[in-house]
Amino acid sequence: MDFSLNEEQELFRSAVRKYLKDLGGTGTARATIRGDDEPARAAASGLAEMGINAIPVPEQQDGLGLGALDLVPVFEETGRVLLPGLQLETLALAVPLITNYGTEEQKKRWLPLAASGESAFSVAWYETGRSLFPETFACTATRIDNRYELSGVKTLVPVTGSPDLFIVGAEAPGGTSLFLVEASEAASVRPLSCLDETQLPAELSFRNAHAELLGEPGKGQDMLREALLHFNTALVSGMVGGMDELVKITAEYAKIRVQFNQPIGRFQAIKHRIVDMKLDLETARSLSHYAAWAVETGADDRIAAVHSARSFASRAYIKAAGDSIQIHGGIGFTEELDCHLYLKRARYWDHYFGSVRDSRKAAAGSLGWHARQTADAAPVS
Amino acid sequence: MDFTLTKKEEAFRDELRSWLSVNLPEGWLEGKRTLPESKEAYSRFLRDWQRKLYEGGWAAISWPEAYGGRNATLMEEIIYHQEMVRVKSPPLVNYVGIHMVAPTLMQMGTDQQKEAYIENILTGNHVWSQGYSEPNAGSDLTAIETAAVKKDGRWIINGQKVWTSFAHLADRCFLLARTGQSGKKHEGITVFLLDMNQEGVETRPITQMDGREEFNEVYLTDAIAHDEDIVGEEGKGWSVLIALMLHERSGIAAEVFTLEQQFEEVAEMARTLTSDGKPIIEDPFIEDGLADLYARISGARLNYYRNITHTLKNGKPGPESSLDKLLVSELGKELFDFAMTIQGHAGVLAGGDAPFDGAMQHQYLASFGATIGGGTSEVQRNTIGERILGLPKDLGR
Repeated sequence: MDFSLNEEQELFRSAVRKYLKDLGGTGTARATIRGDDEPARAAASGLAEMGINAIPVPEQQDGLGLGALDLVPVFEETGRVLLPGLQLETLALAVPLITNYGTEEQKKRWLPLAASGESAFSVAWYETGRSLFPETFACTATRIDNRYELSGVKTLVPVTGSPDLFIVGAEAPGGTSLFLVEASEAASVRPLSCLDETQLPAELSFRNAHAELLGEPGKGQDMLREALLHFNTALVSGMVGGMDELVKITAEYAKIRVQFNQPIGRFQAIKHRIVDMKLDLETARSLSHYAAWAVETGADDRIAAVHSARSFASRAYIKAAGDSIQIHGGIGFTEELDCHLYLKRARYWDHYFGSVRDSRKAAAGSLGWHARQTADAAPVS
Repeated sequence: MDFTLTKKEEAFRDELRSWLSVNLPEGWLEGKRTLPESKEAYSRFLRDWQRKLYEGGWAAISWPEAYGGRNATLMEEIIYHQEMVRVKSPPLVNYVGIHMVAPTLMQMGTDQQKEAYIENILTGNHVWSQGYSEPNAGSDLTAIETAAVKKDGRWIINGQKVWTSFAHLADRCFLLARTGQSGKKHEGITVFLLDMNQEGVETRPITQMDGREEFNEVYLTDAIAHDEDIVGEEGKGWSVLIALMLHERSGIAAEVFTLEQQFEEVAEMARTLTSDGKPIIEDPFIEDGLADLYARISGARLNYYRNITHTLKNGKPGPESSLDKLLVSELGKELFDFAMTIQGHAGVLAGGDAPFDGAMQHQYLASFGATIGGGTSEVQRNTIGERILGLPKDLGR
């Protein structure tokens, strides 16, 4: 029995943590909110130099060929400082998609760029008024000789960090499929206002954009479901990092804030609330580490593991952020403190590529609780 | 990260499994698990079971071999708990003796005490109870009033203990009594090894809210103990309690595995019970709630694994292991609250008229005890807040 990250992973965590702290912690995120992208860009290239982008990329494409567990410390630490950027989308969604379903040529073209940090990738999947896995998309890809032309409007596409490549979901002959579309092919990019101002989601429109098929036609949803196991694992690490910081700053505040002639952390009403935050944090951390292990080793229960982690951590992060505001009192409600930044990030991630309900459904399906229906059911994630 | 068992651990598990399949009471594995009603028959049944465990070498596996144990590793101890939970083995009547009293005596008992008690604990000849709580000393154990006064070379003990598990079956009591009033409130407390088979000791069972009678009031009226019955030093009982707690290395393994098993039973009920011809799991509310509990109960088990890993690497549990009890006992309450809710109007029934023979109803009621016994959830939260998060101590402690 050994349920812990290994020494190298912990050492790497310390290095990433120190680097991001030296850059000013959440100061990078605050710069993005002010409209100054430079610190986030600098952080992204600094992290790439440390090798984080190479972690999930196969060795043949200049990467390190490591697994989901090696990304855990990275995303816990970027989550701790609310780092804006496309690390999550690039390393935990686009790279697994291209690695698992791309042609040799596609891999050769894009993966080295991801490994070095020269390129960031994003995913254009959602459409307004449609669920995460709709029957059909309005966006279509038409085959013309050996190539595809893609037209339509996608929404909630993360563009902070200037992606060079979009993986786009569109209807094609054979059903919903995935396509690689270079950023220069987008006809328009309309930034959307976002509750979490460290994020920059956009509405993208394509008109006869040059598109390359990724994987088999008609398998878009299955491929995305599978890749979302990687994505959700990394996302949950980010949530754990944020919660860890929240518990830390809240406990520290309760030790120094004096009311009624004593530190408020002495009152059980405060103390017990922080303990409950800590309990949730540790549970989320355990679920998160196990999910990464399950994904990395292809364990039988990996779908339940990942979606349990996501559904639990997502709610717990929102709650921890809310409790931290409450315990800080008036100052907690101000812009000045970071508590609200965590709340907004927690909310953003709660709604991002799935929901708590989606995850619980996926876990229930994978555990065979609906045995009568599973015989002809599609693979679930 | 590695969740597999070593070859040696597998062999240990298989040996225990095959022993259990032969030695559990007849019909036990097939589900005939009723315990005798009368006190005498119940006591005999449990003592017989302990005797059988002893004879098979399975009563106290973590003890050193010199005392008749197996010198089991932490992982073997955990596997042991897992297997015992899996077969829903009868309760270990001498739990207090095996897991608390004997390890304490091995560390700080006199040769005479070791000689007199350890083997009898192992064989089940002496069943032990734990005399801690009192009517006015619950969460605040330092408030005990039971007093031992020395007179003519003997200790005369007067007072009342409460919530004393298995006292009605016990021969001996690991008793806390006040022997001095001076100094700090932790001082002046002494641990006695009290013979319960004497005139000054009267035991009255307490009927619990779930109808069972597992714990007792113990009245001490001029009960007698001797100097050689003191563990450690007179007036230094508090440090004995601390030492006793440090023996705890497998933590709440049995409770963790039991919670997991209980979850499976609730999930099975959700798939089996029907409403309007459909399994109730098809109700999205029930599916959602069950998936939520699955996540949280898995999380509690994984927390436990993380804490065991810490113990395996560092030789002793880390502070985070104090989270386990709080988490598992609170989750048990939520699990059975859910198990009641999803039964719909059938949830009001009990016993044989209720779904699953009222198993959920019974466990629902029993679950309320788990967040009180062994330190209330509130006390656990104080401890965690102060020891792990470094928050200031409550006034008055």
